[in-house]
Amino acid sequence: MNNTMKMSGDMRLARRSLLKLSAALPLAGALPLLIGESRAASAATQLNIYSWPDYFAQDDLTAFGKASGVTANIATYNANEIMFAKLNSPAGAGFDIVIPSSGWIRQLAQRKLIREIDHDRLDLGALDKSLLNRDFDPGNKYSIPKDWGVLGVVYDPAAVGGEIRTWQDFLDAGAKPGVSGRVRLTKSASETLGPALWIAGKDWNKASEDEIRAAGDQMRDFAKHVKTFAAFDPAALASGAIVLAQANQAAARNALIQNPKLKWVVPGPRSEIWIDNYAIASGATNLDAAYDFLKFFLKPDVQVRETEYLGYPAAIAGLRKKLGPDVKQASMIFGGDHVDFDALTSFIVDPKTIGLYQEMQTRVMAAAGG
Amino acid sequence: MTDDLFAAVPTLWLFIFFFAPLALTAAISFGHSSFGDVAFGMTLDNYRTALSGFYRVAFLRTLQFAATGCLLCIVVAFPAAFFIARRSGRFEKAAIVLVLVPYFTSFLIRVMSWQILLSRGGPGEALLHGLHLYSGPLDLMDTKTAVFIGMVYSYLPIAIVPLYVVLRRIPVALEDAGRDLGAGRFSTFFLIILPLARPGIATAILLTGVPMLGEMVIPTLLGGDRGVLMGQAISSQYIDAQNYALGSAMAMLVLVSVGVLVALLARFTRGFAETAP
Repeated sequence: MNNTMKMSGDMRLARRSLLKLSAALPLAGALPLLIGESRAASAATQLNIYSWPDYFAQDDLTAFGKASGVTANIATYNANEIMFAKLNSPAGAGFDIVIPSSGWIRQLAQRKLIREIDHDRLDLGALDKSLLNRDFDPGNKYSIPKDWGVLGVVYDPAAVGGEIRTWQDFLDAGAKPGVSGRVRLTKSASETLGPALWIAGKDWNKASEDEIRAAGDQMRDFAKHVKTFAAFDPAALASGAIVLAQANQAAARNALIQNPKLKWVVPGPRSEIWIDNYAIASGATNLDAAYDFLKFFLKPDVQVRETEYLGYPAAIAGLRKKLGPDVKQASMIFGGDHVDFDALTSFIVDPKTIGLYQEMQTRVMAAAGG
Repeated sequence: MTDDLFAAVPTLWLFIFFFAPLALTAAISFGHSSFGDVAFGMTLDNYRTALSGFYRVAFLRTLQFAATGCLLCIVVAFPAAFFIARRSGRFEKAAIVLVLVPYFTSFLIRVMSWQILLSRGGPGEALLHGLHLYSGPLDLMDTKTAVFIGMVYSYLPIAIVPLYVVLRRIPVALEDAGRDLGAGRFSTFFLIILPLARPGIATAILLTGVPMLGEMVIPTLLGGDRGVLMGQAISSQYIDAQNYALGSAMAMLVLVSVGVLVALLARFTRGFAETAP
């Protein structure tokens, strides 16, 4: 007899009420202080955000706190999979706002872990239209774009001995002596297998098992040239320990600022655009505070400030012209001046294939030896 | 009565936070996994997957890795422990405190310091250049060597302490007796001291080898996350692939090998209930 143990449902309801009770206790303790404050202050003064680390400028968080009286508590994750695993379990109750990447919106929505956004409460008119209504969330029912990135290659042209224009160039360059053993690939399965699939002309959201395996085999052969899958380190590129690296444009920008001799390219025929989004957790208790937070952070001047702080481009339209004059390597924030946005595609996690993607990634990392 | 009560608290803690989750992991390892969910069942498929092909290679590679790391650790720790226990005179207490002081710092910070020391153009390179031991750029970061350096460094205090404790209890009188009977320095060491230090060596193997079997942080930070070991493989199954059943099966396998290791070591040190007269 099989019992399906859903990591949500009944357990989560009990957990949520327990959390509510334990949240009430410190409020009860703070009652004497609250009485002294204005009666108009709302009882919900906390907003629980589950986000990437260091993803909001502290100045803006403080300004938000002053303007609305709401303190933002930020818990962090450094991988979408961790965020998904937590939200999919009883431990994920109690968050109001989460910041999932484009690939995971569909899975979160299907499992009812995020709730539909009430578009009557928000004005998305100032946002870049090309970032809205995309294939991972048609109509933006569940998500509002926060910022975005593209997958590209940053390299030392002297060591590589030429220019890189396509992903095949990237693989060829990695095999050259002097470059082999000094290559960085990302840890993400889709970003490792994507290039091989794109070289073969395949779509990574529609690839069959055989096509994914073939891509995995090709990258496994390449793996012997790879030095590291760890988080991107601009210092390694500056010192020459790494001369060829997959990276997103903001990380590459940091490397270019430290070593202007490096070059950046978004290789053809296709590459990735990912979009990080605001989403409201289905267990959110402070909806008013959540919408206040979203309204505040969607303000144009706040988005410009966030962009200058993070190095990732916010979703607002016409951002290039709005940036201050002293922003270093400003065009790199947008991936440079020659990005063909029609050639960019977002990965969407599909439970039928994600296991195979991960298995191939594990084998690539193992084949890199060490 | 109060004794039982006092014993009940840690037992309850152990049960709630150790045995119950362990039992759950064992139960899940026999189940069927789909993306993000797990259904309890009774299948050995997960164990079959965990013991075949790629995962078996990873498992064996991890055993070899832990054995090498453990051996290196003890080879470095034994002279240190011997010196502190038997030759340091009035500096003994200060020496053992110095060995333990790094443990006041966060483990992560200590490992990341090695990232700085071993990087190109870093202090390690400067030192080697200054001593004329090496020329050219130091490319130790993200290599197996860097991983073993980090591992030996992190586990060294844990290896030194049990060796120190055991070596300390070997009576000096035994060394004197050996010398009276004609044993030279080497014979004294290999025939008297080393055999009596077996419980310490066994404990050191246990305390270093077992965590090394599940080591994940150091290969990621110092090894460029290459060469998948069991810690990384299990974590990847749980988090990246959302395949709790396979991850649990792999975790159970690691547990079983630890159990075998403990049993072997217990056998190896039978009859050592007391080391000092």
